[in-house]
Amino acid sequence: MNKTYYMGRAELGDVLAERSRSSGGSLLSPCGGAWEQVRDPDRAVASLSGPRGPASPKGFLLPPAESLGQYGAAAEAATATAAAVELVGVRACELRAREYMDRVFEGGDFIDPRYVRRREAAVVVSCDCVDCAASCFCTLVGGEPFAREGFDVNLTPVSDGFVAEVATEQGKAWLGRAATSEAAPSQLAERDRLRREMADRLTGQNAAVVLDASAAAEALPDDADPAWQRFAGDCVECGACTNICPTCHCFYLYDQLLGPSQFERVRTWDSCLLSTYHRMAGTAGTKLTPRPRLSSRLANRVLHKFSYSPRQYGLVGCVGCGRCVDACIGAIDIREVVKELGQ
Amino acid sequence: MTPDDPYLPAAAELVEVIDETPTIKTLRLSPSRPLAFRAGQFVQLTVPGVGEAPFTPSSSPLEPERMDITVLNTGKVTEKLHQSRPGQILGLRGPFGKGYPIEKLAGREVLVVGGGVGLAPLRAMILALLADLGPIKRLSIKYGARCTEELLYWPDQHKQWAAREKVDVTTTIDRPQDGWTGPTGVVTTLLKGVDVDKPNCLCFVCGPGIMLKFTTQALMEEGFAPEQIYLSMNRRMSCGMGHCGRCNIGPHYLCKDGPDMNYALIKDYPNLF
Repeated sequence: MNKTYYMGRAELGDVLAERSRSSGGSLLSPCGGAWEQVRDPDRAVASLSGPRGPASPKGFLLPPAESLGQYGAAAEAATATAAAVELVGVRACELRAREYMDRVFEGGDFIDPRYVRRREAAVVVSCDCVDCAASCFCTLVGGEPFAREGFDVNLTPVSDGFVAEVATEQGKAWLGRAATSEAAPSQLAERDRLRREMADRLTGQNAAVVLDASAAAEALPDDADPAWQRFAGDCVECGACTNICPTCHCFYLYDQLLGPSQFERVRTWDSCLLSTYHRMAGTAGTKLTPRPRLSSRLANRVLHKFSYSPRQYGLVGCVGCGRCVDACIGAIDIREVVKELGQ
Repeated sequence: MTPDDPYLPAAAELVEVIDETPTIKTLRLSPSRPLAFRAGQFVQLTVPGVGEAPFTPSSSPLEPERMDITVLNTGKVTEKLHQSRPGQILGLRGPFGKGYPIEKLAGREVLVVGGGVGLAPLRAMILALLADLGPIKRLSIKYGARCTEELLYWPDQHKQWAAREKVDVTTTIDRPQDGWTGPTGVVTTLLKGVDVDKPNCLCFVCGPGIMLKFTTQALMEEGFAPEQIYLSMNRRMSCGMGHCGRCNIGPHYLCKDGPDMNYALIKDYPNLF
């Protein structure tokens, strides 16, 4: 049973100020939009009571671009050079996304050593959502607006302060002196009430788009079906949805020259929406991509989330963070796509 | 080079280049450490600084100290591979994928259908089977290429294979040509009324997409069930580990679950070929 503590806002601010000093700049929070070094602890504390930020912490597990190492005359594997990060304000949907990524990068026959190193080194301080964006829909895909596991410390903003649930020794050490007064039953009751209220609010705001993820897995049409065109017509193939998605993990490998006999292999994020994504070598007249049509590629992304991922990893590939809804300049709402084509 | 990272290539010296046809060469490699593979598994072959491309070795898996990779010149990496010379250092990662289900072949007949350079991956299986023909009942090889100049491993290896007991080899070219006395027509013409014990036969097909499509159709017309047909599927396999996402047919990543796929598992997905 995890221990729970109570601390005032100022006390948590002190913890952040102290960690900010002692972590050498690796204490990060999304309070400014992007995940950045905490410079203003009070602002970071205040952001914990707001909705999730526009960016997930995916980039700390799978950086947008990284060297995988050099080969040739002098070989060396690139070690994950990024300093161990302390992430404050990770949301429950983001922890579910990490569980999904774990199954991709650690769960098969081949394990990505860089992913493992980063995953292990990060301190995760999650926080309940006591506010949400209009695009949030975690409760439609089996999620909850608070985390039950996967964190070192979980914070719940309650009246005048926070309930902190400590799950690991690392988490206890992170809180330091702030973890002294145990949370009172009334504070835990308030936490439970806030959690119920938030879940109800999410269910309420999505009442019009109730979707059944497991029914969608079976009912969504295949990627050649013309029904997808209705949404693909609004897609401009920018890749914002895949970049912003906390579970999209497709990447591109390329090699570059560092010297006459020294080479580097680089990995960057890629997007299955882009026409070049599946492109293969071949002579004229051969079919160079299995999905030449944008509607097929859009379909493949949605099918991967709702139909293929449950079979591949035992998890729906969408955590309901709604970021792709916010990011899409064609105003494609994945809730509507799944509801209209998948019921 | 770094051996223990699945993303980085290990050095492999190119020891010989065999000109097979005007468009196909076989590169004989000596890996810096033995790279054991099962027939049908694939490797990523790196041209240093240029990039890598997936190939199923065409040599016997029983000889892992050397590896033959038969390459059609068809793109950026394969063009560089065709320009490579003995002594050059290339890179290898792998092996990846499942490989052919050799263990399912005991007591059965095996029908191998190849088109063009598609005979290359099949040769690894043919050589593995020839090393011990005991468990299988019969091996029938049907092969087609556009013209005599493009016939792969022709004629010596075809003759060697056909000389073995329990093995028959039939080779066709698309159109009649001077000096050719064998069958003509695309490879599917060899499948009409094919003389095999159909209920007890598994079929392995490799070739260009269009050939896979019509061969599958022809085999179905001959009464084979989808479960009896294995297709060497080609999509853009990059990482080889099911991480990078791009080679899927529905929920199947070819790099992990293939590249040879049982047709029954994929037949309901669109844009297969």
